[in-house]
Amino acid sequence: MRIVVAEDLYLLRDGMVRLIEACGHEVVATAATGPETLDALRTWRPDVSVIDVRMPPNQSDEGLQAALAARREMPGLPVLILSQHVEQLYARELLADGSGGVGYLLKESVFDADQFIGALERVAAGGTAMDPSVIAKLLSNSSPGRGLEQLTEREYSVLGLMAEGLSNQAIGRRLFLSDSAISKYTTTMFGKLGLNDDDDSNRRVRAVLTYLNKP
Amino acid sequence: MRRLGTWPARVGVGFVRACAVAAVSLLVPAVWAAAAALGIWWGPGNPWSWTAPFAIVCVGTLALPRPVCRTIRFLVARWAATVIPAGYRQGGPVTRLSTGYWWNGFSYERSRRDAVLDQKMRLWWSDPANWRDLRFTGIVPFTAGVVAALPPAGVAAAVLGFARPETAAHLVGGLGLVVAVASAPYAWRPVVPVAVRFLRPSPAMALADRVDELTAQRADATVAQAAEIRRIERDLHDGAQARLVALGLSVATAGKLMDSDPDQARALMRDAQAGATASLAELRELIRGISPPVLNERGLADAVRALALDMPLDVAVSAATPLRLDPPIESAVYFGIAELLTNAVKHARATRAYVTLTRDDTGVIAEVEDDGRGGAGIRTGGGLAGLRRRLAAFDGTLEITSPPGGPTRARMMVPCESL
Repeated sequence: MRIVVAEDLYLLRDGMVRLIEACGHEVVATAATGPETLDALRTWRPDVSVIDVRMPPNQSDEGLQAALAARREMPGLPVLILSQHVEQLYARELLADGSGGVGYLLKESVFDADQFIGALERVAAGGTAMDPSVIAKLLSNSSPGRGLEQLTEREYSVLGLMAEGLSNQAIGRRLFLSDSAISKYTTTMFGKLGLNDDDDSNRRVRAVLTYLNKP
Repeated sequence: MRRLGTWPARVGVGFVRACAVAAVSLLVPAVWAAAAALGIWWGPGNPWSWTAPFAIVCVGTLALPRPVCRTIRFLVARWAATVIPAGYRQGGPVTRLSTGYWWNGFSYERSRRDAVLDQKMRLWWSDPANWRDLRFTGIVPFTAGVVAALPPAGVAAAVLGFARPETAAHLVGGLGLVVAVASAPYAWRPVVPVAVRFLRPSPAMALADRVDELTAQRADATVAQAAEIRRIERDLHDGAQARLVALGLSVATAGKLMDSDPDQARALMRDAQAGATASLAELRELIRGISPPVLNERGLADAVRALALDMPLDVAVSAATPLRLDPPIESAVYFGIAELLTNAVKHARATRAYVTLTRDDTGVIAEVEDDGRGGAGIRTGGGLAGLRRRLAAFDGTLEITSPPGGPTRARMMVPCESL
C-alpha cells in the first residue's frame, strides 16, 4: 500500500514510518503540519493515510480538518486518525459523509504492530477501525434511534464489535460463538436496520454508520 | 371576581405599609416638631426654655438617622425584594496582645470592653456612611414620607370629620376616606426608588467594598490554584511517575534475562507494554481534568458538544458559533457546565438536559436546564458554592432556580469583552 504519514513529533513519525515499512508497505510522503498534510493527500492520493489530530501551526485540530477537507474533495479517501484522546464528536464528524474508509484510534494502538497494520489495511479496504472506547461510550448512551431499538442485546454487541472494525471470525472469537451464528445475527440485524443490498462490506459500513450516528 | 377579592387585601396591606413608611420617615421631623412644641409651651420669649428642646433636636438628629436608614433598608428588602447594601465600615478583630492590652486597630485599651467601645466610636465618627444617612433622613420626609402620610392623614380627617355634627365636616371626612382608600395601595411605593437613589453606597464606599471583595477573591483563587497544583503533583507522583519507574524496571530486567531466559524476558516486555498503555490512560484522564483537549482544539461550543456526547443522559446543545473566549473564561464556563450536568445525573436523576450558550455585548451566558427532581440549592461548602466562587473570580454570576420536583435551571453569566 502507498501510505502518507502526518505527525508533528519527529520521533513518533519516524517510528511509524519504520513500523509501516517493516511490515512491507510503502510510505510515499510524510507531513508535519496541517497544510502539508492536505498537500500530500492531494498530490499522492494514498491508499491510506495516518494522520495526527493536533498539529502545527495552531496546535489545534489541524490534522483532523485536513483529513475532512481532503475527504470532501476526494470522497472515500481512506484516512486513519491517530490521537492522544478520542472524542465521539470527532468520530461522528469523520463518519458523517457516510462513505466509510475511516479509522480513529488512540496513539497507543501502534504498540501492537499487527493490530495497527490490520486496522490500516481494513481502512484502506473501505472499512472502519474505531477505538473501543468510542464504541463503549456509545453503548453506554441509552437512547438508540433509527431502528437500533429493535436490536437484541446480542445483536447490539455484535454491531459494537463490527464498528470497531472486526471481521465475523474475530467477532465470533470475542463472543465465543461460531462464524455461522455471527453471520445469522448480522443478517437479521441488517434486516432490522433496513439494509438490504447484496454487497456485504457495504452493508457492514452502513450498519456501523447508523450505529455511530445515533442522535 | 378575583380583583374584587384581592382589592380590599391590597388596600389593607398598602395602608399598613404606608403607615410604617410614614412613621419611620417622619420620625426625625416629629422629634423637631415635639422639641419646638415643648419650647413654645415653656414660653417662647424666654431663651432658657429653648435649651432642652435644642438638646433633644441635636441628640435626635445625630442618633436617629442610622436606625431610620436600617429600618427603611429592611422594609425595602422585605417588600420590594431590592437589597440595598448598607456599606457601613466594619471593625477589625479586637485582639489581646502579649502585654495584656487590647488592640482594636486604632488604639490600645486596658480591657476588651473599652477596646470594642473605642473602636465603635471611631468607626462611627469616621464613617462616610453617616453623611449619606443624614442626607437621606433630610430627603425622605419630603418625598416618600409625605406621600406615605396620605392614607393615615385621610383616615384621621375622616375620624375627625365624622365626629362633628356639621355637614361640611362630614364632607371633608368623606373626602379623606376616599383619598385614604384610593391612595393606600400605592402610597408606600415611592420609598423604594427614593431609597435606591439616595441610600446606596457612595462611590468611595462602593470602591472600598469592591477592594474587600477582590481581596477575598484573590485569596480564594490562590488557595484554589495551590490545591489544584498539589492535586496534579499527587496524581503524577502516585500514577504516571510510579508506573514509569516500574516500566523502566521491567525493561531493565528483561534486558538482563534476554539471553538466559527469553520466555521470562518476553513476558516482562508484555508487562512493560501494558504498563505504558495504563500510564497513557492515566495521563489522558489527568489532562482531561486540567484542560480538556477539545477545548484547546475547538473552543467552548464544540467542547460542550463533546462533553454532551460523553454524558449518560440526553443533552441537547445549542450554541452561537463561533464562540471563542479568553482561555481562562472558556475553561471556567466549561467546567461549570460539566459540574451542572454531573449534578443533573447524580442528584437530580435527570434523563434530559438542555445547554444553551449565548454571547452578547456584555458577556457569555451559559444556561443548563434538566428535567430532574429539582431541589438544588447553593449551600455553603457545597459544589455549587464552589462553582459560584470560581465564577466570581471573573465577576461572573451563578443563578439557580430549582423548585422541589424540578425542573432545575442554572444560569451562568461571565462578563467579557467582545473579541
